Amino acid sequence: MIKPLFTFRYSVIALTLFWLGLFVLVPHVLVLIVSVLSPDPQHLVVWPLTLDSWARLFDPLYLEVFWYSLWLSGLTTLICLLLGYPFAWVLAQLPAWWRGVLLFLMIVPFWTNSLIRTYAIKLSLGNKGVVNSLLVGLGITDEPVELLYTPFAVVFGLVYVLLPFMVLPLVASFDKLDKHLLEAARDLGAGWWQRFRHVVLPLTMPGVIAGCLIVFLPAMGMFYVSDLLGGAKNLLLGNIIRNQFMVVHDWPFGAALSVALIMLMAMLLWLYFAANRRINRQGGLDDDGI
Amino acid sequence: MMTGFNRKFFQWSFITAIFAWLYLPIVLLVVNSFNDSKYGHEWKGFTWKWYEKLFENEALVQAFLNSLLIAGLAATVATIIGTLMALAIHRYRFPLKGTASGMLFVVMMSPDIVLAITFLVVFIALGIQLGFWSLLIAHITFCLPFVVITVYAQLKGFDKHLLEAAQDLGASESRIFRLIILPLVFPAIIAGWLLSFTLSLDDVIISSFVTGPSFEILPIRVFSMVKVGVSPEVNVLATLLLIISLLLVTLSTLLLRRKY
Amino acid sequence: MKLPSLLATLLVAAATSLYAEEKVVVYNWAEYISEDSLAAFTQETGIKVEYSTYDNNETMYSKLKLQQGKGYDIVVPSTYLVSKMRAEGLLQEIDHKKLTNLPNLSISLMNKDYDPGNKYSIPYLWGSTGIAVNSKEIDPATIKGWADLWDSKWQGKLLLIDDLREVFHMALKKNGYSTNTTNPDELKTAYEDLQKLMPNVRVFNADSPRQPYLSGDVNLGMIWSGELIMAQQENPDIQYIFPQEGAGFWVDSFSIPAGAENVENAHKFIDYMLRADVGKKVVEELGYSTPNGEVRNLLDGKYLNNKVIFPPAEAVDKGEFQKDVGEAMKLYNEYWEKLKAGK
Repeated sequence: MIKPLFTFRYSVIALTLFWLGLFVLVPHVLVLIVSVLSPDPQHLVVWPLTLDSWARLFDPLYLEVFWYSLWLSGLTTLICLLLGYPFAWVLAQLPAWWRGVLLFLMIVPFWTNSLIRTYAIKLSLGNKGVVNSLLVGLGITDEPVELLYTPFAVVFGLVYVLLPFMVLPLVASFDKLDKHLLEAARDLGAGWWQRFRHVVLPLTMPGVIAGCLIVFLPAMGMFYVSDLLGGAKNLLLGNIIRNQFMVVHDWPFGAALSVALIMLMAMLLWLYFAANRRINRQGGLDDDGI
Repeated sequence: MMTGFNRKFFQWSFITAIFAWLYLPIVLLVVNSFNDSKYGHEWKGFTWKWYEKLFENEALVQAFLNSLLIAGLAATVATIIGTLMALAIHRYRFPLKGTASGMLFVVMMSPDIVLAITFLVVFIALGIQLGFWSLLIAHITFCLPFVVITVYAQLKGFDKHLLEAAQDLGASESRIFRLIILPLVFPAIIAGWLLSFTLSLDDVIISSFVTGPSFEILPIRVFSMVKVGVSPEVNVLATLLLIISLLLVTLSTLLLRRKY
Repeated sequence: MKLPSLLATLLVAAATSLYAEEKVVVYNWAEYISEDSLAAFTQETGIKVEYSTYDNNETMYSKLKLQQGKGYDIVVPSTYLVSKMRAEGLLQEIDHKKLTNLPNLSISLMNKDYDPGNKYSIPYLWGSTGIAVNSKEIDPATIKGWADLWDSKWQGKLLLIDDLREVFHMALKKNGYSTNTTNPDELKTAYEDLQKLMPNVRVFNADSPRQPYLSGDVNLGMIWSGELIMAQQENPDIQYIFPQEGAGFWVDSFSIPAGAENVENAHKFIDYMLRADVGKKVVEELGYSTPNGEVRNLLDGKYLNNKVIFPPAEAVDKGEFQKDVGEAMKLYNEYWEKLKAGK
C-alpha cells in the first residue's frame, strides 16, 4: 500500500523541516560562513576566507568570560531548581483549578516590561530600598547592606526572571505523577526519602531536565540583568558578542564567538545526555543526538 | 514525622513567600503609578495624572495593544507548531531529525543579537516587508523551542502501549493525536503557551531589528524612552495589565469553578 | 467628452492617492520630540508622520546598513555616527536651499569636523557628558575635573557611564589627548590610567545614570547633561560640573538616509523642526540644549540662565565632539574588555 503524501504524519514532518530549515538552519549556516570571512568596518564582511577570527578565540580572556558566564548560569539554574521543585510539588497537590490559578498568578508579574521591573528591583535593593529599610528597621543590621551592584544582585535578578521557566514544565510533569504509585510505595514500607528517590524523582526527571534546559541556556545569553543589577562590572559572553556586532562592527569575530558558544554548549549537553543515558536511561530531547 | 497540619502550614508559607518575592517589584510599580514624583524615588503625594496622560498618549497605548496582539498570536501559533514538532521528534523517524532537534537548541543558545541579525537578513532576502508579519514569524520562531521542550518532556513520560493499542485498533495518526496525545500533554501545552506569551511580550533586541515603522510594540517604545526618562505611564500600563489579569482570574473562578 | 472626463477622474484619483501617501517616516528615540508639534506639522502640511523608535544609535545603524539605507526618511544619529554613515554612503546630501529656517541655527555648532559644511546633518539637540555631584554629601568646589575622580578616597563609590568612548574620553582628556585619537601609544596611556580608576568604580550605568544618584547609591561620577536636568527636577542637590580638562559633547542631528522614499517631505520636516517656536517647545518639554539661536530669544530666563542647558562658551571650547575612529575601535574595545575583565 502506498501511503498518500498528505497524511497527518507527513504534513507534520514537512512543517517541522520547513520552518526550522528556513528560519534557523539557513541563517545559521550564513553565520558560520560570516565567521570565516574577513572583517571590514565599511562593508561588514569581505573576502578572502580566513581563520583569523577563530584563532582569536583562544585568547584566555574569552575563556575566562566563558567560565564566568557558565558559572553564573549554572548557579542560577541550581537555585531555580531548589526553589522551583518544591514549589511545583506543592502546587501539583492542589486541586486542578487552584493549581491553574496559582500558575497564572505566578506568571502575571512577568507581563510587565522587563526594564521597569528591573528598575523596581533596583529601587528595592538600593541603600535606601525596601529590603535595606526592613533589615535596618528590624534591627538585623545597623547599616544598609550593600546589595545592589554585587554578584548577589545579579543572581537574584536572574533567578527572579527565570523561575517560572523552571516551574511550568515541572508542574506539567508532576501532573502525570500517579498518586497510586506513591501509595503503593508507602504500603510496601518505603520511607519518605525512598519514595522521593525511587518514585517521584525518576518520574519527574523529564520535567527537571526540560526546566533546567530552558533556564540554563537562555541564562547564558542574558546580559542585561548583569548590566543593570550588577553594575556591568563583569563582562558576559552576551556583552562581548553584542559589542563585536554593534560597537566594533567586526561581524566575523562576533559570528565566530557565537558559533563557538553554540558548539561548546552543544558539547556540554551531549556529554550530559550521554552520561545520563548510561546511568538511568531518562532524558529530555536526547533521542537522536544533537 | 511531620503532622498533616504542620506540613500544610509549611507548604503554604513557602508558596506565600515565593509569591511575595515575585510581587514585591510589581507592588512598587503599582504604588509608583499613583506617585506624583516622576522617577519614583520618594513618595510625593497621590495623583491620577499618569493615568490621564496615558489615555492621551495614543502611540503608547497603540504599542501596548500591538504587543498584546503579537504575543497572543505568536504564543498560539508557536504552541500549535511546537506541539506538532514535539510529536514529530518523539514519534516519527525522518531524515534530518537530528538536525531539526539540534536547530531548536541553536535557537535557544544563539545570542539575541545574532538571531536578530539573521532574521533581518532572511526577511530582506525573502522580500518580506518589515512590520507585523516579520515580527510574528520571528516571535514564533524564538518561542518554538520552549514549547517543544516542555511538550516533549511530557510525551517522554507516558505509556507507549496506549498508543500501540490505539494503532492496533486501526486509529489514524490524526485521531491518535487528537483523542489520546492531546489530552495527555495538555498541561504542558498550557505551560508552553504561557512561556511563549511571556517571552514574546518582553523581547526587545530581536523585535527592534525585524519590525518596521508601521508596527511598533511596547518593549521597543519603553527602551527607547531612555533619552527622556521612562515615563510613569508605563507603570500605569503595568498596573492595568495586572488588574485585568486579576479580574480574569476572579471572573473565571466565579463562572467556571462550579464545574470542578 | 468622454476622454477628458476619464482623464479628469484619473487625475483626481492620482492626486488623492498621492495625497494619501504624503508621509514622512521618522526613526528616533521615543518621545525625543514634542508630540504637539508633530500633530501641528501634519495639520499644517498634510504630511503624516510615521514615528518609529530605537533605543540606541547602534541598532539604528545596523538596521539601515542591512537595508542599504532604505525604510526611513529621517534618522537622528549622534556625531560619530554621522561621520561613519556619511563615509559609507548611507546618508544623502541635504539641500540647504529647501531649508528656509536654516539661518536660525547658531554658527558655533555648525561646520564641525564630523560633517564639514553640514551637508549630511542638521543639528537638532545637543548636550554634554560631565561630572555629577550630590552637594549634600560632597563639596562640589573640591571637584574640578576628571582627574579628581582618580582620588583613592572614592574607592567603590563612582558611577561611570557604560560606554567605552565616554570612559576613554576622561582618561584621554586627563592626559591632554584628543577624544578621537587613533594613536596606539596615547590609547595605551589612557588604558593604563583607567586601570588605576577601576577600583573606584561602583557601577557602570547602562540605562539611566540619574537613578543611582537619586536613590542615593552613588554621589559622584559621570552623567549626561539631559539626565542631570531630569535628576534636578527631583533633587536639586545634584549638581553639574564641566570638567576643566574638557567635557564630552554630542549633537544629535537630523539626517536623510540614502534610500529615503519621501525626500521632499523629509526636507519639509527638518525645516519645520528648525522653526523657533517649535524649537522652544522642544527645549521646554525635553530639557536638552538647542543649537537654534532664535529659540533663545523666545525662552524665558529660567532656561537661559541654566548653565547645563546653555553651557558657557569656554566650556564648549575646551570640550570635544566624538568622531568615528574607524579601525582604532578594535583597539579601544580590546582595552575595554581587558578593563572589565580586571586586567
